Amino acid sequence: MAAAGGALTASMVEIPLFTGQNSSLQSQLSNSNSQLANLKKQLDMMTGLVSLSITEQALLEPVVETIIPTDSTGVGAKEAGVIYFIDRQLASEYGLSGNMFMDAPHVPPNIPASSSNPLQVNPSLAWAFLKLPSGAYSPAGGGGSANPISYSGGSQTFTAGGTPFTVNYGITASPRVGSGINYQYPMNMREFWRVSLAALQTYSNRAYGGNFQTLSSDNQLQTLKDLWTNAPKTKTPIPADDLTGFSNIQPSDFAYELTFMTWAGFLMDPIYGGNRNMVGWDYVGFNGVNFGNAYGEGLSQKTLMVASSPTKLKPASLAQYQQQAAGGA
Amino acid sequence: MSTVIQEPSVDVVCLGVGFMSGVVATELALAGKKVVGITKGPYWDYVNDYSTTKYDEWGVGLGRKYDHPLPLQSTTIRNNSSQFALPVRRYTMPIQYHALGHGVGGAAQHYGGGMGRQGPWGYQMESLTATAYGAGFLSSINPQDDTHDWPLTYAQYEPYYVAWEEAHAICGNYNGSPTNSPSDMNYPWMSTNYPLPPHPLTPLGQLFQSTVQGMTAPNGQPYHPFPTVSALASQPYTNRYGVTVNPCVYEGYCGGLCDYACETGAKSNAAYRTIPAAIKSGNFTLVTNAYIFRLELSTSGDQVIAAHYYDAHGNIHRQPGTVFFNGMWGYNMIRLMLLSGLGTPYIYNSGLGTGTGTVGRGLTNGYTPYRGTNVTGTVNIGGNSYPAGNGSGGGMAVYELMDDNFIHSNISPPFIGGGLVSAGGYLGSGPGNITFAGGVSGPSSTNPNGSMGSAFKATQQKKYLPTKQTVGATPFAPDLPTLMNYVDLDPHYTDAYGDPVSRLTYDWTPNTYNGAAYLVNQIKTILDQMGATNVTVGSTVAPYSAHNDWWGHHLRGGLRIGTDPNAGTPTAWAALSGYNQLYLTPTTGVNYFAAGEITNTTGNNATAGTHVAGPQSYRAAEGIKKYLQYVATQGINYLAS
Repeated sequence: MAAAGGALTASMVEIPLFTGQNSSLQSQLSNSNSQLANLKKQLDMMTGLVSLSITEQALLEPVVETIIPTDSTGVGAKEAGVIYFIDRQLASEYGLSGNMFMDAPHVPPNIPASSSNPLQVNPSLAWAFLKLPSGAYSPAGGGGSANPISYSGGSQTFTAGGTPFTVNYGITASPRVGSGINYQYPMNMREFWRVSLAALQTYSNRAYGGNFQTLSSDNQLQTLKDLWTNAPKTKTPIPADDLTGFSNIQPSDFAYELTFMTWAGFLMDPIYGGNRNMVGWDYVGFNGVNFGNAYGEGLSQKTLMVASSPTKLKPASLAQYQQQAAGGA
Repeated sequence: MSTVIQEPSVDVVCLGVGFMSGVVATELALAGKKVVGITKGPYWDYVNDYSTTKYDEWGVGLGRKYDHPLPLQSTTIRNNSSQFALPVRRYTMPIQYHALGHGVGGAAQHYGGGMGRQGPWGYQMESLTATAYGAGFLSSINPQDDTHDWPLTYAQYEPYYVAWEEAHAICGNYNGSPTNSPSDMNYPWMSTNYPLPPHPLTPLGQLFQSTVQGMTAPNGQPYHPFPTVSALASQPYTNRYGVTVNPCVYEGYCGGLCDYACETGAKSNAAYRTIPAAIKSGNFTLVTNAYIFRLELSTSGDQVIAAHYYDAHGNIHRQPGTVFFNGMWGYNMIRLMLLSGLGTPYIYNSGLGTGTGTVGRGLTNGYTPYRGTNVTGTVNIGGNSYPAGNGSGGGMAVYELMDDNFIHSNISPPFIGGGLVSAGGYLGSGPGNITFAGGVSGPSSTNPNGSMGSAFKATQQKKYLPTKQTVGATPFAPDLPTLMNYVDLDPHYTDAYGDPVSRLTYDWTPNTYNGAAYLVNQIKTILDQMGATNVTVGSTVAPYSAHNDWWGHHLRGGLRIGTDPNAGTPTAWAALSGYNQLYLTPTTGVNYFAAGEITNTTGNNATAGTHVAGPQSYRAAEGIKKYLQYVATQGINYLAS
């Protein structure tokens, strides 16, 4: 596999520099350069945005580069092309919430218990008409949308092993960010990002006196930390008038998506547009789809897995694996 | 709109085609009975569906491209009956709340392959606990306790375990001690060894093994370590149905990295173990992409006559049969019964702390609270490179801290049961699963910038080339059934066809936490003996502290077997009481025999429960054969009623 004299690596294709004994060095080099130029052209044609607006791009680029900065330890979100990963996700299943359960009603989490002001929610039509034995499941009042069901939460004390435990149950649960029941917004992820990105920029201006992309790197990081702590809704002098535009959105929910998607763009297969040249995998030491012989290393997976120290291989990507499986290079 | 398409009647209709229906369909088809299996998803083919596209952590592990689509049907969850239950909107890692199965093989297309047995204690937990610690002990430690024995003992299930293990190519070795003496913890458990040997042991597994062999367990005997039991074939194998099984290739895309889909068929599930034989028999008809929405009852209401389902084109089909076997995922099984008016719905009265009815009663969890008491330490042994290995082999386990294998008297806070303790499995998850899918976080005292910035980034450098390993545990004791935890229908949310989704009402019981407080120190002693450094016991987490991080794919129960009409539903033959021709076994984690019988969260596979359901599927198959024989000889025609 390895070519005599070494190899130039561009994108995911290895180009042999010196193969034929009688070929002229000059023509080999020229050939390689032209291949490189073609590859670059190919890459450039796939490097673009399909969902993010130019305004959003200007904001999101420094955001992802704040979350995974390029620093002395190595490349970051910028080199990995994280923004292209996020852009494509926003334009596809993730952004369209294609695999999410999005049906109404949309009731937010974190509603505290209240017996004086209970949550009242109408039952579904199916509920009203479902024939079940002896009215066991009918809501109080006989069912139907005219008779909403009340929820008040409350405090209960349970005794176990002689020790009492008092538990406070809110009207709705208080899930951690990123939990499957935490996102209860009536909009899909693309709309959530659109609204939240604009609110982030507004907050940056109000709290730190300028657009996010103009802030010092310390203030950029602080701005994102503020999202995690929901400061745009609580911090003074940022007033409670909530003019940042987050409104009913918890900023920490957006902070979660930003951080989650940035790391995903750094570490997921290059086929999704991020982790370019597998730089993310190189950084964390993940071998990708190299099972020990992707480049002719001749290692067996069974040996690798019972070793008492890990083996760093040059990572391979899903596309490379598929090309090899299909009998290609 | 559609007209109802009438299907020809058959002997047995299997609802859902996962692990449990796989056994029932195959056993009955090979016995010459006509069987139809109906599943809402496709028939996954590991060669064509997985071999080129599964090495894709984003698409499979996080996007769940091989799993149940949430827009079709979700579930709602809450901790207490006073709350509004929030619907599960999205898939997340760690996997939460929702069942994972879609298509032939069901949820078992997506598991690590842990497959140990439940031991004798688990089947008689109520009576054995009363004998050992007094009649009032369970109710004193478990508010609104609803624990009951199984109708059968372990000894009665043992032959079914053997059949299950032979059919599904289970790996392990029941000789674990240095002497292989009859005093081994295993000997009353197994009449015959596993059909396949265990997977290769890791260096960490070897250290754990040699360490515990020199230690005395709380029962006063030496620990006896055994290789972890795995449902991933370690060698080529042909099972009792003549189905060829490929061995594991150890490529490591076996866990969260790919949501456990297996591209060699080494990982056991119905699609690659039983259903091929059923199809080959010529007596089995597989109906895929078909969504069952009702069971049709006889006018007298005491017999099931037909299953109704939507096909992929929107037609409604009516499938009559003599016997109906419900092999769906647990809360889907309960939901279908409630939608059909089958059985008595469980109704909880929070004011009185009482409950009536059976269908939905006794939901339990087979997994540790997401935030629980834990212990960790560092050992000077490198890990395998990522990815490598598989999801359930490579380690060693001890049983001495499990079940009632140590005396629970005078432990404070009090609890019953315990857990399997193991170490040394292969590292294998992908960078997403470890770095961000397990939960990116915001600023905290230990991590001032959360998962952001250069300091956090540096912690990820070379993370997948571990030259030392963190070893630890978040132990727990069995989650006991209570009247407070149950499954019913949600009044507000519906599936894509407009029928109510299931609603789960569940909070952890104190036993899980109190067990952890004791077990964590036992595990610390083992870590110390292993030479681990920086061994740290986390602060004790109080009961009811980790409300809604459930690991819901480990929920089980809600439709228990038993002979007591108030405590249990299906009879000992797995037939629903009063509905002689409707048979049920649970799929992974949830089903009728799980809940009241906390038992299926004990033993050598506390978390999944599949291996406890497995023998029940053989029991059901045997019961169905007897029933069909009875119908044949007595000439009863239920379809006319």
